[in-house]
Amino acid sequence: MNSIMYDTYTIFWRELKRYKKSRSGVLIRLIQPAIWIIVVGNIFSETQPLIQSVGFEGEYIEFMAPGVIILTAIFTSIFGGVNTLWDRRYGFMNKALTSPISRSAIALGKMSAISLIAALQASLIIGIALAIGVTFPNPLMIIPIMGIVILFSLGFSGISVTLAATAKSQETFWGMINLLGMPLFMLSPALFPLELLPNWLAVIAKLNPVTYTVLLVRELMTGVSEGGVPILISIAVIVAFVIAMVAIASYVFTREVNKPF
Amino acid sequence: MYSIETKSLTKSFGDLVAVNDVSFSVEKGEIFGFLGPNGAGKSTTMMIFTTLLKPTSGKALIAGFDVMKDAKKVRENIGFVQQETTVDEYLSGRENLLLQAKLNHIPKNEINKRIDEILDLIELSDKQDQAVVTYSGGMRKRLDIAGGLLHHPKVLFLDEPTVGLDIQTRRKIWQYIKKIHIEFEMTIFVTTHYMEEADNLCDRIGIIDGGKIQVIDSPQNMKNALGNEIISLAVENNSNHDSFLVELKKIEFIKKINEDESKLILFTSNGTEVIPKIFQISSRLGIKINTISLTQPTLDDVFISYTGHEIRDDNSKFNRKLEHAKMKRLRA
Repeated sequence: MNSIMYDTYTIFWRELKRYKKSRSGVLIRLIQPAIWIIVVGNIFSETQPLIQSVGFEGEYIEFMAPGVIILTAIFTSIFGGVNTLWDRRYGFMNKALTSPISRSAIALGKMSAISLIAALQASLIIGIALAIGVTFPNPLMIIPIMGIVILFSLGFSGISVTLAATAKSQETFWGMINLLGMPLFMLSPALFPLELLPNWLAVIAKLNPVTYTVLLVRELMTGVSEGGVPILISIAVIVAFVIAMVAIASYVFTREVNKPF
Repeated sequence: MYSIETKSLTKSFGDLVAVNDVSFSVEKGEIFGFLGPNGAGKSTTMMIFTTLLKPTSGKALIAGFDVMKDAKKVRENIGFVQQETTVDEYLSGRENLLLQAKLNHIPKNEINKRIDEILDLIELSDKQDQAVVTYSGGMRKRLDIAGGLLHHPKVLFLDEPTVGLDIQTRRKIWQYIKKIHIEFEMTIFVTTHYMEEADNLCDRIGIIDGGKIQVIDSPQNMKNALGNEIISLAVENNSNHDSFLVELKKIEFIKKINEDESKLILFTSNGTEVIPKIFQISSRLGIKINTISLTQPTLDDVFISYTGHEIRDDNSKFNRKLEHAKMKRLRA
């Protein structure tokens, strides 16, 4: 157990080193969420009456800011596993596989690094949100929000590592990511309240862990409870989602890397 | 105890047999070379030894541990330097070694000492804090090899260590390999398709072709087995050609004759005495000799004599099929 912690940390350390050295990557990954919050946030500012109808008093941009924070977390973490493919292609994976560290430590190290990186990116988006005038009624809430973002990203990094371990090519991986990422984001109350969805879509949205994360972060950020989901239920759904994804990723990763690439 | 021991090791991919009933052993402290053309089964064998592939049947013991049953123990005792350089370009040389040290569970209080020691050995101390992106190909390879032996493994596996490097860098890498061999007294198993490399580095060589071991011996013995000299003859064909061959075979020093289009290659000893005899026979039979040369055999000649083709000759049907199957798997 001690050694699996040490090994996980070794991989975690390596991934973070690589992240730190790719400064341009940090900025490039910010562009898309920044466009969402600045452009979409303003385009839809006239929809304020719609969100007011579900009891939300602020600007539209304040309503959707938590959604964009989660968008950042989703996309940073779901893309994060792609270096698994590079590692297999360029030999680092074989290097790790022929060393005494366990296979699941490789997967866990990658996932924890991805989730921390996703949270860092999300915190930069919180900075942008604050800069364009989104306000926090209680600034201390940023601490539990970051905790939730890290936890949630861990689940999505699990999806990413699972897909990267099974995909044999970049094309397959990117295809799968696009197939999953956008719909999961859209089928959540990130941009519009759950109450405004047609019934059948609302049912699907209720099965989506992103929904609970958005509701939770929005409640912490704005103080408005929406959708009638208690905080504890949201937390329980996120925790269950994360445990399941991390377990699946460790299992699939261990199985797949033992096959020749 | 042997460092590497295999018994009837076999690996097949579908109906393709990449490694076919291979049995041999490598002694402790040896530099053992695995020589063969691309697709001969070298890399597959190495992947089995390093626990990356499971054999279809047969057994392989590395440092006394079974690659199937004791994979973790095997991994604790080996270093593996892959064909392509696998150092992390964005990290510095030292960071790369630090990563390698952690992966291989070197005790914390020893890590820095080991890294200093190895950087000194591969003469990269002054560049250790630069990103690897700024290193030349030879420097990267040195760093990669250093990473493979940082934890003082019992057996070091080098897969085509100098492929893609120019000849000067290649010689330099051989020097480093010899140096670390003396310094750390480890067994080194190296695959190569360069004759010169095998000849230069290895105590013993196994020639592998078509998934099967053709011969194992020291480079010198292999060359001696062919006689210590080679006479190449270019002759003009005429009706007496067959009786010419028969007569040649009667010369006592000649051990083997290979025919290659218009060229005859005679593996022999005492070449200077044999040449006049060849002329006597040819003038008696009216055969015109265009050129004649006397050379020392190289490993190239050894390879041809065991496999019937040159090492660069990749066109045998077997290889093409195997490569095709590999490509298909990659694309799936």
